[in-house]
Amino acid sequence: MEFGLDDEQQMVVQTVRRFVDKDVRAWAADADRAGAAPDRFAAIAGDLGFFVDAVPEAAGGMLDGAYRHTTRALRGFELGRGCAAMAALIETNVEPALAVTKWGSDAAKAALFGALAQGGFATTGRDARHALEIADGGGGVHVTGVIGPLPALGVASHVLLLAPSLVALLPVDAGTRAAITPTGWRAAKWGTLTCERAAIPADLVLARGDAAASAQAEILAWYRASLAARASGVATSAMEHAAKYAAERVQFGQAIGTFEALIRLRDDSETAALTARLMALHAAWLIDRGDATAADAASRARVVANDAVSRATIDGVQILGGYGFVNDFPVEKLMRDARAFEALLGDERFDRILARKGA
Amino acid sequence: MDLFHDAPMFAGVRQMLGAFALRQIRPVAAKHDAEESMPWELMKMAQSFGMTQSAMVDGAKAVIGKDPDDASGDDVKKPKTIARISCVGAEELAWGCAGVCLALGGSGLAASPVARMGNDAQRKVFKDALKGADEHGHIKIAAMALSEPSTGSDISGLSTSARKDGDHWVINGHKQWITNGASAAVYVVWAQTDPNAGRGGVRGFVVTRDTPGLIPGRKETKLGIRASETAQVHFEDCRVHEDMMLGIDQKAQGGLSDTKKMLDSTRPAVGAQAVGIARAAFEYLLERVQGGTTHGTPLNSHQHVMFELAEMEMEIQASRLLVHRAAWMADHGLENVRFASMGKAHAARTAQQVTTRAMALLGEEALVPGHPVEKWYRDAKIYDIFEGTGQIQRRIIAKSLTGVNPT
Repeated sequence: MEFGLDDEQQMVVQTVRRFVDKDVRAWAADADRAGAAPDRFAAIAGDLGFFVDAVPEAAGGMLDGAYRHTTRALRGFELGRGCAAMAALIETNVEPALAVTKWGSDAAKAALFGALAQGGFATTGRDARHALEIADGGGGVHVTGVIGPLPALGVASHVLLLAPSLVALLPVDAGTRAAITPTGWRAAKWGTLTCERAAIPADLVLARGDAAASAQAEILAWYRASLAARASGVATSAMEHAAKYAAERVQFGQAIGTFEALIRLRDDSETAALTARLMALHAAWLIDRGDATAADAASRARVVANDAVSRATIDGVQILGGYGFVNDFPVEKLMRDARAFEALLGDERFDRILARKGA
Repeated sequence: MDLFHDAPMFAGVRQMLGAFALRQIRPVAAKHDAEESMPWELMKMAQSFGMTQSAMVDGAKAVIGKDPDDASGDDVKKPKTIARISCVGAEELAWGCAGVCLALGGSGLAASPVARMGNDAQRKVFKDALKGADEHGHIKIAAMALSEPSTGSDISGLSTSARKDGDHWVINGHKQWITNGASAAVYVVWAQTDPNAGRGGVRGFVVTRDTPGLIPGRKETKLGIRASETAQVHFEDCRVHEDMMLGIDQKAQGGLSDTKKMLDSTRPAVGAQAVGIARAAFEYLLERVQGGTTHGTPLNSHQHVMFELAEMEMEIQASRLLVHRAAWMADHGLENVRFASMGKAHAARTAQQVTTRAMALLGEEALVPGHPVEKWYRDAKIYDIFEGTGQIQRRIIAKSLTGVNPT
């Protein structure tokens, strides 16, 4: 068993950590208030190749060889420490790019990679409640219903749609898009897409039937591992801010960080964040190895990470007290940001129960 | 023991304020949350059912067991109903919107010490300052200025000073997290009058807005309860006549110990607000579960979802019972410190747990801007922070059990 990072991973972690500590954290509060990341964010992240790291080199991207989910999870953790919204924008293209690479037609590859190589965005939407109407038509399918809210959907050209018995690349212009700004991940360019018999041509359908279920499980494993890594980063960030404040804030004649109740509060949240990070990395490692248990591991990682980020951000606000509740300090943003991790893709615990029942 | 409040008075309050919350508060709650604006129209409307600013002084007098018109200071031994009524009403209003609830009742924080420790002249100054409308046409409101940047939970460490100069006190310092701090017409300000006297030297003063040296400060942008104004207040050589020091000629001393008693007396109603938030989220989820489907099956056919509902209902009922027991004890003149803390702490935890789980179960739907459950999730957090954090409540409970203040 090897827990050390290889040279490439060390370089990625160092690069992203420097980017986060120097820039992303400095931008986070203003981006949250404005509901948009600064232009420099896209410029620097673009220069680092983050938006096209899953797009094959031959198609204008940075991917040469197999994509490494372990490296992605390491990056996601660091980005989560910085800003969940900017992390979401950096990570949003990965699932669509990898899915189209693996299951897409030449037309799908041309459509998606062309858009991403030009600086565009794609996002992933899952019909967790089976609420969309999917009908065959014109060789492809027609979709009716509302997709989202999803991060990046406000600017994306395509949605990687995961519906029962269907994995497809839905062009956003097939529906009616509405840009929205929720209270969490506010700079993540959220949107909803209302579809009224939105047409997906046959060459943008990636998989149907059993093949779709299998593809969807694989895609969800990628997404879940990434979300878990980012959530553990947000949880860690909350505790970093709490630790700093608890060391400085004096009440009743002593630093509040020396009260046993707060030591335990922090310690439990830090333990939960650390556990979530390890489970996310383990799930990513299993994905990289093509292990059959990867999907389950990613799902479990997400359950633990959701609990960890929820707990750590709520406790972070608690430790900062009145300062935690106002937006001069970063932790109230983290508490708002925590919710999207749990909401996206649906209730993970419920998914696991349904999966075990064979539903 | 009347824990279930079948009496017509309780039912009437519940019905009246419940209807007000449903018809008047709920429709504007999202707007005031998004705009971070005070619900001035609702505050004016609330006067129609007796929530006038002056009535809060008299109401607070009744909470502490004194006839509003009896200045003798003798406690009335007959059991009261006001603490339980406050809880019933607070739950209903917070069910509508906790921020609006706090905006409607925010002046009561200042009215309470004036009622408890003020003399007739001070009560008159306070009530006169609340008459009429301000320059914007808004009703006038009051603020209690206690917390400071360096003193949140530890209110004995106040640094705002009051120095005697002839027949005036000169106040200097900065206050933070003050409800109604930017807009108040009158303030109850707590300051240290004798640096060598510790907490015994902390006294309250009635200060009107037009007093030179009183400078309303910046309004805070908050995680939740955004319809309630929270602001800084600054005092720079603010001269206040000595007659405006609370407790100068009453049995109560006007010091911090009286302030703590005051917080004990209002704590059940604060817990009841948290119950109101939890109930709101629970009822929303219950309705969605009753009509919703997942994977083509009714949501209410899934034990996972149904047991979540059962868990929420258990916690909400337990919180309400604790809160109302503390209120019942207050109404009967019984020492209720432990129960007031247990009720507030339990209700705060319940509100956070219920709103968090409700959001998880609702999934992406709850991320849509203006979604009520997301707002309730943000609103709930303050109940574990203000009016004594969850940790302070547990200190109080533990000390009442053992006699030792745990550090």
